[in-house]
Amino acid sequence: MGRKKKKQMKPWCWYCNRDFDDEKILIQHQKAKHFKCHICHKKLYTGPGLAIHCMQVHKETIDSVPNAIPGRTDIELEIYGMEGIPDKDMQDRRRVLEQKSHESQKKKQNQDDSDEEDDEDEDEAGPSSFQQPAAQPQAAYMPPMHPGPQAQGMLPAGYPGMPPMLTGVPPMIPGMPPVMPGMPPGMMPMGGMMPPGPAMPPMMPGMPPGMPPHVARPGMPPMAPAAPVTAPGIASRPAVPPTQSTASKPLFPSAVQAQQTVSGPSSTTSDSPKVTFPAYTQPSSTPPVAASSSTVAKPPATVTSKPATLTTLSATSKLMHPDEDISLEERRAQLPRYQRLIPRPGQTAAVAASAPPSGAVGGMIPAQRVIPPQQPGIRHPIHGQYGGPPQGIPGYMAGGMPPYGQSAPMVPSYQAGPPGPPMGIRPPVMSPGSRY
Amino acid sequence: MSLFGTNTGFGSGGTGVFGSTTTDSHNPMKDVEVTSPPDDSISCLAFSPPTMPGNFLIGGSWANDVRCWEVQDNGQTVPKAQQMHTGPVLDVCWSDDGSKVFTASCDKTAKMWDLNSNQTIQIAQHEGPIRTIHWIKAPNYSCVMTGSWDKTLKFWDTRSPNPMMSLQMPERCYCADVVYPMAVVATAERGLIVYQLENQPSEFRRIESPLKHQHRCVAIFKDKQSKPTGFALGSIEGRVAIHYINPPNPAKDNFTFKCHRSNGTNTATPQDIYAVNAISFHPVHGTLATVGSDGRFSFWDKDARTKLKTSEQLDQPITACCFNNNGNIFAYASSYDWSKGHEYYNPQKKNYIFLRNAAEELKPRNKK
Repeated sequence: MGRKKKKQMKPWCWYCNRDFDDEKILIQHQKAKHFKCHICHKKLYTGPGLAIHCMQVHKETIDSVPNAIPGRTDIELEIYGMEGIPDKDMQDRRRVLEQKSHESQKKKQNQDDSDEEDDEDEDEAGPSSFQQPAAQPQAAYMPPMHPGPQAQGMLPAGYPGMPPMLTGVPPMIPGMPPVMPGMPPGMMPMGGMMPPGPAMPPMMPGMPPGMPPHVARPGMPPMAPAAPVTAPGIASRPAVPPTQSTASKPLFPSAVQAQQTVSGPSSTTSDSPKVTFPAYTQPSSTPPVAASSSTVAKPPATVTSKPATLTTLSATSKLMHPDEDISLEERRAQLPRYQRLIPRPGQTAAVAASAPPSGAVGGMIPAQRVIPPQQPGIRHPIHGQYGGPPQGIPGYMAGGMPPYGQSAPMVPSYQAGPPGPPMGIRPPVMSPGSRY
Repeated sequence: MSLFGTNTGFGSGGTGVFGSTTTDSHNPMKDVEVTSPPDDSISCLAFSPPTMPGNFLIGGSWANDVRCWEVQDNGQTVPKAQQMHTGPVLDVCWSDDGSKVFTASCDKTAKMWDLNSNQTIQIAQHEGPIRTIHWIKAPNYSCVMTGSWDKTLKFWDTRSPNPMMSLQMPERCYCADVVYPMAVVATAERGLIVYQLENQPSEFRRIESPLKHQHRCVAIFKDKQSKPTGFALGSIEGRVAIHYINPPNPAKDNFTFKCHRSNGTNTATPQDIYAVNAISFHPVHGTLATVGSDGRFSFWDKDARTKLKTSEQLDQPITACCFNNNGNIFAYASSYDWSKGHEYYNPQKKNYIFLRNAAEELKPRNKK
């Protein structure tokens, strides 16, 4: 968007190296971030302009451009948008951009240069495009999926049973037979479908699991060899998605039309945007600046490992948050004062009996699900948890037991665990407080 | 019933209801104090749905209790009932008919509280503390959704001890919101998953986080036709992302804004950046409120992309907030959120819940 000739690259700010889609936005950014008077907030047009304003109006001198990266703070340089940028820096930038674009082409299609890790987002739309990374990686792995899993996906033969996420693809196969006859002659007419002969063998291995239903259909035997070949063919056909959408489960009302329309044109870019977790399984193509790399390592990060620490982004700001990258509630819940086993005095007897064997359940399931989330810093699985549940169930029915009279099903999940070292009963730290 | 809206007995100017001390920094906005607040930090607040008359406020706290107050039209708050868990209560929600309250606790259980009989029964069990709880009312089913630090999202028919469904999440659930047929869950490690709830809940899409820091709170917003269309996500880094599920132009429509930071635009002094503890959307105007560790609340208009108001600074962080069903009351809780670690925790410090007249201040700004 914008003009075509942007000195052969997208507009970027010389002061802070940020990229922008448009020179207009770039100028707005410069005015707001670099040429704004810190005293009266008046926005000037250039660096020298700002200096002069401060001198004349406030009798103050400034010697560097606000919010500029080191080395680019020269207040004397008259830069406006992309004009005035010294040639040398221009060439440096071009070189850097080339390197970056080569790298990203080598990796799977990542987002474009505009996706910088940048904390200085303003109220205007300056964010990177989140949707594209989601779309592109899907394209990367959608095609290979076509022959294999979809066939199996349709075998259960239950549309209602199919998760809507896969609607983009599996319905294509059941959609094939009805679509086939209507297919443009360029595709697989029922009659002659031998042209894809050479393509068949590579596809066949993938198809057999899905083939039997096809083969069984009367009048459709010739479909068997044709099907695998059409699958990739179909994938690129915008005509097919509309049929698949009829079989797909209705998604969000406001989103349904959007998706159906998206599935059409998007098939040219990325097949079926509906598929899940593309951006998530690939560990974050845009690694967060602040969170240290261990968090980015893999989404299901083992919490038993040392919790990632946060880092502040710049020397000029401080994050009012404890260093570990666990939530405030998790941190607080680790404290002994918030971990109690015995709720009420009335239940103490019953619970005490069960507490030693079951109370330790949380404790000695080594680092599985219970402990780590609460105590990442404390490696000991033995350390107590909130062994609340066992006594909570029968004991807490203040009034009636009926629905949970058979609370047994729930309890075994805890008491069934192998008894471990007795945890001991935590002294109730907090009495119920003021009751009214 | 008369609304809080235009009555003079309520609103700015310290009301005589609960004689809060003058210009104390604990209540600089001079809002109505709720009587008998919990003894420890308030983790969650929820107002009753429109299906029941009157305004009832439920608040869960780290003192293991859940309290219910009736909020009367003249601004008076009357404590009604209380229930206990065996661990801190992290989330509460109402059923759609207003007869039940669901509570989720660190004791790994969730309970259903029948307000008429004042009885509770356990309806859910997880292997880790339950962080979020929401009631789902679909045309063909109803259930309770619980998100836990055990990385699962479970759906419970309250009559059965076993979950109707259990979905695995990539990480611990940190916050969630439900507006049928959409549900959003934000997890640790900046995970973000959208679920669709039609027919039965299923994962709809995993979204790459628009934020670069730990997710803290999320709230779904609706479009002009009252259909959920996107969500606001807050992080610990004083920033909220507005994200649409299927926008016509994602790069333009989605954006983030900074909030809950000290020092505004003054870049001379180091800036303190606070976590956004909760986000709530006004049910009528569609504008949103954010509350932060800095002890302030702010109102924003996401369509005009402007700030409507920022409050004075309270002496404690604001940990929870919510609007009542008609948007006339904004409730916010002032208590310690652990943002500075346990050193700054003072168990003796009083916790507050304040009520503010929200009818005027959250009107949208006209788009420029």
